[in-house]
Amino acid sequence: MKERSEHPSWKMRMAQAADMPKDVVLGVPVLSMLGREELYIENYRGILEYTEELIRVQTKKGQIKVTGCRLQISYYTNDEMKVTGCVKTIEYGD
Amino acid sequence: MILSLLRYLQGYLYIRIVGYSPERFINLCKHHRITLWGMRANERAYEMYISVKGFRKLKPILKKTNTKVIVKGKYGLPFFLHRRRKRKMLFAGAILCLALIYGLSLFVWDIEITGNYTRTDEQILEYLEDTGVVHGMRKGKVDCPGIVKDIRKQFDDIIWVSASLEGTRLKLAIKENSDRTVVPKDSTKEATPKDIVASKDGIVTRIVTRKGTPVVTAGTEVKKGDLLVLGKVDIIDDAGTVVNYQYHEADADIDICTTQTYEDEMAATYEEKSYQGIGRKRVFLKFGDWKVTLGFLKNNYEHSSYLCEEKQVELLPHFFLPFLYGIESVKPYTIKETKYSDEKLKEYLSARFSRFCSELEKKGVQILENDVKIYKGNTVVRASGTLTMIESAIEFRDTQITPIEKMSEGELK
Repeated sequence: MKERSEHPSWKMRMAQAADMPKDVVLGVPVLSMLGREELYIENYRGILEYTEELIRVQTKKGQIKVTGCRLQISYYTNDEMKVTGCVKTIEYGD
Repeated sequence: MILSLLRYLQGYLYIRIVGYSPERFINLCKHHRITLWGMRANERAYEMYISVKGFRKLKPILKKTNTKVIVKGKYGLPFFLHRRRKRKMLFAGAILCLALIYGLSLFVWDIEITGNYTRTDEQILEYLEDTGVVHGMRKGKVDCPGIVKDIRKQFDDIIWVSASLEGTRLKLAIKENSDRTVVPKDSTKEATPKDIVASKDGIVTRIVTRKGTPVVTAGTEVKKGDLLVLGKVDIIDDAGTVVNYQYHEADADIDICTTQTYEDEMAATYEEKSYQGIGRKRVFLKFGDWKVTLGFLKNNYEHSSYLCEEKQVELLPHFFLPFLYGIESVKPYTIKETKYSDEKLKEYLSARFSRFCSELEKKGVQILENDVKIYKGNTVVRASGTLTMIESAIEFRDTQITPIEKMSEGELK
């Protein structure tokens, strides 16, 4: 796979210049966490893997890997998912 | 909270997904906008909650992903009712309950009056009862504009009324006239001629006459009933003889310096109640004259006080039901004769005296001096003395009409 350049893309620069919400323009995932027990993920495509220790989520810009223990998906809708449990790491991959 | 209530009302299932690719199943559910929640993973199988509506749409997804669904539990109102479909009395009871609540909501169970200071609630309620507005009347029969009109007509000092229905409560907001302006007399009515006479003994300190003939001047000593201003004005011709009289309702500002004795007494002892024991309590539920009670009040106490607190059942804010509930309690006490301390006695008597003075001042009386003293007896304490004050101590009395002496024509010539 092609290595992503270190410079921000032209889309990113446009969004920055126009002061537009980047999650909408670029379709990047939005992750918000409350402590380490609650994790909200928006702008995702689907689940690739789900066990109590690992959740892999596919997004437009790659994968997100959440590891932890007692991971549970409280709800799973078209716009947002909520993961509860004890989150240990969040990794980004291509 | 609201979401879980909605889910309960619509019904939901707890399902287990087994098969080759449960993740794909989840993603397809998301794609078809089927909401899943409470997802748990164990040993390549997922367990989750799904709405009944979503469950009906699962068939093609299951086929596509080659997974199997096992229903592990059914929750919610539709399933609850389905399980109890043979219990007819339960449904009858529920329907009866709803019908009763609807039926009771058609009546007025509470009349709330706000903003009244001098008119009591009872006075207004009594009047409303006469016009047919009572507790327990049909809401459809309440005519708010009519009530407003009636109250305004009946009570002169109420200057603004608003009536509105809120739930089973009839709300009356009232504004009373706080200025106490004197209602102007009907000027079209022919005033009967009146004299002003003194209503108390005293010395006139000031007199300003607007209408009528003054008979006294400042400094004159007057007795009760003495004439102060005559309601008759002489009309004098050039020669100085009285040819006619004009009659008025005499009008004047008159201050009279009067004295008044003040007498007040109170017992030097009082009965102090000391409550002992826990007494008895009884709870009750009341509907009209019908009352259900729990507990006993019967007792053989020598002295006891009875206390009753009652409240109206309020199903929702402004939705009152015609049921009252509350607690009645009886508490025994013993009486002990106790003496007031000197300071307390002085405090009480002076408070009563200053209230008396302020009431006089409210009437426009100016107190010049007082020599009220407190005299202490064995059983009774007395405050007495005289007050010197300036007040407008006047009364009106009909003027005597003096017949005009008709001069003969011969005299005129």
